Amino acid sequence: MILSPLLLLGPIAAAPAAPVQGDLFVIKAPRVELGDGEVMEHAVILVEDGEIVTMGQDLPVERGIPVIELEEGQVVMPGLVNPYSRVGMSGGGYNDSRPQVMASAELYPSAAYKAFFENGVTTVGQYPAGQGIPGQAVAVRPKGDSAEEMIVEDGVYLKVVMRNNSSAKRNLRDGFKKADDHLKKVEKEREKFDKAQAKAKGDKKKSSSKSKSKETFVPPPADPRVQPFFDLREGKLRALVSIRNAASYEHLIDAIGDEEFEWHLRVPLTRDIDVFHVADKVGERGCFVLMEPLITLVPGTLRQRNLPAEFERAGAKLVLLPRTDSKAGFESFLEDVGVMIGAGLDRKAAVRAITHNPATFMGLGDRLGSLSEGKRANLLIFSGDPFQPDTKLDAVMLDGKFVSGDMDQ
Amino acid sequence: MHLRPNQQRRTSRPTWLLMAASLFLAPTALANVSIDDEPAEEAEAEEDKEEVLALVGGEIHTGLGGVLRDATILVRDGKIGAFGYDVDVPEDAEVVDVSGMRVYPGLIAVGSFGLFGSSGNLDDSVDPYNQNMTLALAAGITTAVDGNSVAKLKRGHVDGLVVSSSAFETMSYSNGNPQGQLKVEGDLKGAADYIRAYRAWEQEKKSNKEAKEPSKKGVDQKSLRILRGEVRPRFNADDRTDLLEIAQLAQRYGFRPIINGCREGWTVADELGRAGATAIVTPRTRRPKDESLLREGGSSIENAATLYSHGVNVVVVPASRGISLGGIVGQDLLHLPIEAGFAIRGGLPQLAGLRSITIEAARVLGVDYRIGSIEVGKDADLIVTDGDLLHYQTFVQWAIVDGEIVYDKQAEMFFAHIRPRPETALAPAERMDSGEEAPADAPEEEPAEDAGEEPVIEESGGEEPEANEDPEDPEDPEESEDPEESEESENTEQTAGA
Repeated sequence: MILSPLLLLGPIAAAPAAPVQGDLFVIKAPRVELGDGEVMEHAVILVEDGEIVTMGQDLPVERGIPVIELEEGQVVMPGLVNPYSRVGMSGGGYNDSRPQVMASAELYPSAAYKAFFENGVTTVGQYPAGQGIPGQAVAVRPKGDSAEEMIVEDGVYLKVVMRNNSSAKRNLRDGFKKADDHLKKVEKEREKFDKAQAKAKGDKKKSSSKSKSKETFVPPPADPRVQPFFDLREGKLRALVSIRNAASYEHLIDAIGDEEFEWHLRVPLTRDIDVFHVADKVGERGCFVLMEPLITLVPGTLRQRNLPAEFERAGAKLVLLPRTDSKAGFESFLEDVGVMIGAGLDRKAAVRAITHNPATFMGLGDRLGSLSEGKRANLLIFSGDPFQPDTKLDAVMLDGKFVSGDMDQ
Repeated sequence: MHLRPNQQRRTSRPTWLLMAASLFLAPTALANVSIDDEPAEEAEAEEDKEEVLALVGGEIHTGLGGVLRDATILVRDGKIGAFGYDVDVPEDAEVVDVSGMRVYPGLIAVGSFGLFGSSGNLDDSVDPYNQNMTLALAAGITTAVDGNSVAKLKRGHVDGLVVSSSAFETMSYSNGNPQGQLKVEGDLKGAADYIRAYRAWEQEKKSNKEAKEPSKKGVDQKSLRILRGEVRPRFNADDRTDLLEIAQLAQRYGFRPIINGCREGWTVADELGRAGATAIVTPRTRRPKDESLLREGGSSIENAATLYSHGVNVVVVPASRGISLGGIVGQDLLHLPIEAGFAIRGGLPQLAGLRSITIEAARVLGVDYRIGSIEVGKDADLIVTDGDLLHYQTFVQWAIVDGEIVYDKQAEMFFAHIRPRPETALAPAERMDSGEEAPADAPEEEPAEDAGEEPVIEESGGEEPEANEDPEDPEDPEESEDPEESEESENTEQTAGA
């Protein structure tokens, strides 16, 4: 805070007459949701090359820097992050274990991606289709002329589907078992190599004019289907496990056994889902839980439950997804979240659940999902409280450029 | 209270310093004792870190005939550790006050569907939060046969459910299929011959080392296991002729059949008794006799009773093995105890009625070494009810499987609102501290709390009923001032008026 005005004033001291660079501008906002749940009033955000260089309260701005002055009542929020979508992708998948499949291979720019940024979603996680273990997801920015331009990060999570049946459990168990088998194989190869080395040495002593043997041991490469499980164990990859009910959570725990790796939960909410049975257990783990903003009923009754709020209170890191993975779902998303807030979900938690948490879940928390120095200038400008139904999304900024809305730079 | 006057007297003396010192010493000495005690207890607690659950003050029905009033059951590590009157409850035990309630062994349903979600490999496919499982627990069922597996209703667990993966060895021996009958009999005969030859060989082997072991070739393995007593075959039979033929077959080859259905068993009960049969019956079955026959037949409410009096062990199952509100209402698994009640209505002794859904069921499934009765060392599968298990008004208050409370009536939505459990039954924690002196009853504690302002009166008032162990004794006129007592007199007046 002390430094930031200096940073802003820096250019003035250095070259007071120099013209301002093309991609430098300032947003003055009466109210900013930072994404981590906190709010900054009278915020000044300096953006350069699509990145927030500095932001703070009532910072002085050098003359000459273009300023976007927001009106009283307008609210700035980080761009929404939807880590679980297949909009823009097509085709089905399989029912077995294909952890090496990358969703990025399916990626191609199309008009369908407009649905994201027009509704405030500036970062998307796209997963491969299919049951079992269908493959790895990719984080994309929904605007770009080529797949390369769209990809923010590849392999952000491995999707795993867990059900109450032996094949789903086997998929997971076998994956790690094959990894173990590979390790054994490598060990065997190494022994063979060592023996050969020793023998070669012995031969050398006798007659030094033998053909060169390999100097260092090169382990046989792992099967591409096995590598993701090594990555899981080594913490290079995280798993997103889709469960359908409380029972499948218990089966997941059973299938994981003693294996240690980072995993999070996708819980598609249905009207009479019974996952509340395991809310406390999930909360204790403190993993990310991806669910829809939906009021559910206790099975067989009309008693309502706010599961997102329950899981959040229990200690889980909540991530909210649109109720349907479609344009219509994106359009009503913030209103749906507002309903959950009205039904008891903590407002700060709700903001986190659509910005900071999903970004952190995909390992992008240090780049986007919240508004602070060093983060991408992905931000939304609302005419008022984002969760009120009559609020309009005035503009969407993606990497420092307005991509939607009626505001000019 | 008594210390204060003493203190004053002593401080007035010239040697007050010394006396004061001694006063201070006394508590420190006491403190030392308690400090010494604590580590010992802690060490003990650490030694047996297992989870201990104590059901205190209930009426324990062991399922084998024993009834212990105001007794305690201690559950250690999922097994029944001890039960009776002189049970030491460890301090760290989870204590449930079940005074005024009854404790029974968990019930066993020898047939079910839909309690475990989808069937198949239960360990991989069970839905342990399935509503039907909770409802079955509410009916008192802690173990059920699903497919051919015997599994526990371990709510919230996906492993350790399966007790046995071969519940029954089913055989068909029906008058309607003479070919089949011949085959069964041929197999049994082959097996019997083999066993005879084998035994002869075993004898001969001692003197003649070159004796040849009889060939197993062509011997039916299933029949062999039956004749060796490793399994008991189950037959589905209702018809008198079939029952009679099964009984005769069993006596001829010396095995004890399990007969599922056994509708006309009451007409041939003596034969079935001689065969050592166990009958799995549904007392509320209704079927008229075949009018073309002169002999007795059809269903009878006395079926279970008649079979039992002829030495046939009786197991009861309801007509529907699922939990449903369609079709035959009130005859599904939710009404397993009621079904047993109907057997009693037909003349079956009370105890046999209880056994028909507990230990006898465990026996036909071959799992009676683990479940089916309250015995030390058996699995702690227990139910706590607010009355006679077989009474229509009775609710299961708690169901415990492997020592874990998996059903609590007040915590579930199904029956919590019907005759809610009184609050006194929910306050177990404090009882243990005062429990050292004597097993205090709930009614004695309440007046103690109410009359907190006058501690002297409270003490004398609290002790007397303890000594009497019968609060109904209206000896002391002062006692009637206690709220508990006045309530009781009101009650008696009411009953007198009615």
